[in-house]
Amino acid sequence: MASALVEQLLNGLTIGMVYVLLAAGLSVVFGVMDVINFAHGELFALGAYFGYAVATVDGGGFWAALVVAPLAVAVVGAAIERYTVRPLYGRNPLYHILLTFGLVLVLKDGIELVWGPRPKELSAPAVISGTVEAFGFTYPRYSLFVIGIGAVLAAGTWLALNHTRYGLVIRAGSMDREMVTYLGIDIDRYYTLVFAFGAALAAIAGLVLAPRNGVDPGMGDSVIIPAFVVVVLGGLGSFRGAVVGGLGVGVVQTVMRSYVPVLEGLVVFLLMIGVLLVRPQGLFGDPEFEEAGDLFTASGGVLTDARRRQLGVAVVALLALAPLGSGVLYSPFLLNSLFVTVLTWALFALSLDFVMGYAGLVSLGHVLFYGVGAYVTVLVVMHAVPSVVLALLVGVAICLPLAWVIGQLSIRVAGVYFAMITLGFAELFAQIPNKVTQINALLATPWLPTWLRLPALRGNRGLFGIDPVYGLTGGPGVGAVQVVGGVDLLYYVVLAAVVGSYLLARRLMQAPFGSVLQGIREAEQRAEFVGYDVTAYKRRAFVVSGGLAGLAGGLQALADGGVSTSYLAWIQSGKVIVMTMLGGMGTLYGPMLGAGAFFGVKEFLLPVTEQWQGVLGVLFVLFVIFVPEGLVSIPATVQARFAGGPSGGTPVEEPDPVDREVGD
Amino acid sequence: MSLLEVTDLRAGYGETRVLDGVSLAVDAGEVVTLVGRNGVGKTTTLRAIVGAITPWAGTVRYDGEDVTGLSPEATVARGIGFVPEERRVFPGLTVTENLSLATHGGSDAGRGRSVESVLDTFEPLDERRDATGQHLSGGEQQMLAIARALVADADLLLLDEPTEGLAPLVVEAVADLVRNANETDGITVLLVEQNVATALELADHAYVLDQGRVVYEGTAADLEAATDVVDRHLGVSID
Repeated sequence: MASALVEQLLNGLTIGMVYVLLAAGLSVVFGVMDVINFAHGELFALGAYFGYAVATVDGGGFWAALVVAPLAVAVVGAAIERYTVRPLYGRNPLYHILLTFGLVLVLKDGIELVWGPRPKELSAPAVISGTVEAFGFTYPRYSLFVIGIGAVLAAGTWLALNHTRYGLVIRAGSMDREMVTYLGIDIDRYYTLVFAFGAALAAIAGLVLAPRNGVDPGMGDSVIIPAFVVVVLGGLGSFRGAVVGGLGVGVVQTVMRSYVPVLEGLVVFLLMIGVLLVRPQGLFGDPEFEEAGDLFTASGGVLTDARRRQLGVAVVALLALAPLGSGVLYSPFLLNSLFVTVLTWALFALSLDFVMGYAGLVSLGHVLFYGVGAYVTVLVVMHAVPSVVLALLVGVAICLPLAWVIGQLSIRVAGVYFAMITLGFAELFAQIPNKVTQINALLATPWLPTWLRLPALRGNRGLFGIDPVYGLTGGPGVGAVQVVGGVDLLYYVVLAAVVGSYLLARRLMQAPFGSVLQGIREAEQRAEFVGYDVTAYKRRAFVVSGGLAGLAGGLQALADGGVSTSYLAWIQSGKVIVMTMLGGMGTLYGPMLGAGAFFGVKEFLLPVTEQWQGVLGVLFVLFVIFVPEGLVSIPATVQARFAGGPSGGTPVEEPDPVDREVGD
Repeated sequence: MSLLEVTDLRAGYGETRVLDGVSLAVDAGEVVTLVGRNGVGKTTTLRAIVGAITPWAGTVRYDGEDVTGLSPEATVARGIGFVPEERRVFPGLTVTENLSLATHGGSDAGRGRSVESVLDTFEPLDERRDATGQHLSGGEQQMLAIARALVADADLLLLDEPTEGLAPLVVEAVADLVRNANETDGITVLLVEQNVATALELADHAYVLDQGRVVYEGTAADLEAATDVVDRHLGVSID
């Protein structure tokens, strides 16, 4: 018993140290530069791969790798800071999320291109293999090695932060960047250094974990979210918080796995949500006045309202007529699969924009409603009524109160913390399909009704093989009805639902409700002083948004003929943010164009290169640096550039190419 | 030749013009004050001089050299010290840390105002050298902010409202400190103030700013006597 506990503590501290190394870099980078670096996990992976390369080459070896890999990754980090992050300083941290999300795609694909998708093995040198005995217990040497190296690095970082001039400047910079420049210090130089240092720590973390957990392209994904949890728990920007949070999360996670397995994977997110609700600045963070830079919302551009309406009607008409060409100009697959996906994601992006572009709430957990909508829709078809309409309605009906509750809890925290708490909720729900048995075991008490128990969700295998029908209780099956050219009737159902949702959203935004929301986005305090209940308005928007996202998820699940855990993966939240910003948030049609562009470019690249994600990533990076207002802003920019004639001239070079991509 | 010469400075934020051609000169060893109502461009003038914002037009010459549009790092390295509004003391750093952060700036060691030597002259700070910025009183923070600029080896101090929000006794202490820095250390001072009485008491020379332009220039004594100017542009009476 005691030895089991010691072993678990040791395991917990080992993984905890890896979190410390990861979180230290993330946290300091955030503290000094306000940059939320999603690519940190890929730097971690890159460290492991560079290490693998050095360790397996002639004359190399593990110890050489331990020196070379962090330095190499530091160089990569410095280059990232210098050429991609630096142009964005002073903008809202959201742009860094988008930028680093693009970098994730680039780095991940780069790794796959060089080293292939198969996992690699890296063995530890003999000195740190095996076990050692002391005080009547047996310890794996490797754990001791990881803990030792982590402790040394953490102590070294602490000393550097608190007892060197570099550390002094960095700490001062995280408190008041501008004042540091008034003292004659060129803080930009330090930024590159901090970023490179954080990258090196991440690389070491990846490398020391490699002999234990292996090296594979997905390793960055698997650590980045827990690392964020650690950073938020400890307090953004706090080094002490990163250390305490990292070790704490490592130990709690490991101990939970053996003693309260139902909570494994959940407990860290519960902890994060709890801490954010009670103490939004985290355990050791300073309550900092967050000076968020401006979000660039797109304006209507050069089109008049009437012209835009004509274009919109034309696009819808084209989409409605598109099946006529099916089988002749293109295969029905194009419409049944690609177009349906574009449409449902357009709706998902629209729903996100409703809160992000109009209420200024950057939700990193919107996939929660998308996934819940999808699961509920599928479950209704499987267990209750097979009706498409009813199932979708129930899905939306569940998402609305869910969004109300989560909005109630989340909207009290602002900015980055809101993003993190929504991410926490989404990750919490993402665990549920794999934990049905354990959760039901908890619920299996006599004083709880049995209908409260969860239905089988089959974990990662997902729920497939559903038979939805178009009638209320029976009627033709969804798979069976085709309109012209082999196009499923479902295509029209999706089209109608998306167009209807768009009209609803537009109506709401034109109503006083929408004006108040935009007022809140522009100047929250002023809106409050005028007498509006800002929180209530935001929450209402969040509820509407949750419902629309649920509808999008339900539609996509029906099109896919089922649902699986990928519907709840955080990466989907990232994708939908990318689409929204790509198109131009703050306009309802912009994000929808963004969805079209995203899948259009993907479809175009797919046959050309296996590295389509990487190319897409490069495009995002360029986009976020050069076109932060999104696709919808391009015509106005182009017009301004060539403004020879009178302003507001005829939109000749209109519309964006994307319009046609969706419409053809 | 003046130590600082500002000629026809125009600047603003976004589309909004704040400075509409400000010219002023500060001679070495002088205390010059820039007074005016809220929002007439006093702070913007200082920010444009130090390089926190880039002027739209006009020139800033310091010590015979054109420093227009240089970054704060560059102007501070040349000997301009900027003490912004609200002191901007680093809340989580101790008094000593706040000071030693400033130690490198442009000092080619010739003058050498070390942290210790400055602390010697700022006794109240010396007693609190291990307290963090957030635990200092307003007066102590102001002293620290000035001391910090001195450690950065400033020959010209740009002080933005150093007495704002301080109790009358503390205002006196800060005024003494500024006078002392000027008289004993030979620091030249450009002082922006709302507190006209204190400003004129300290200054040799005064400029009155209104709507982005200099509307009066003269010795401090002259301005004190020019009640019409004071009434029209400052809107307070001095007794």
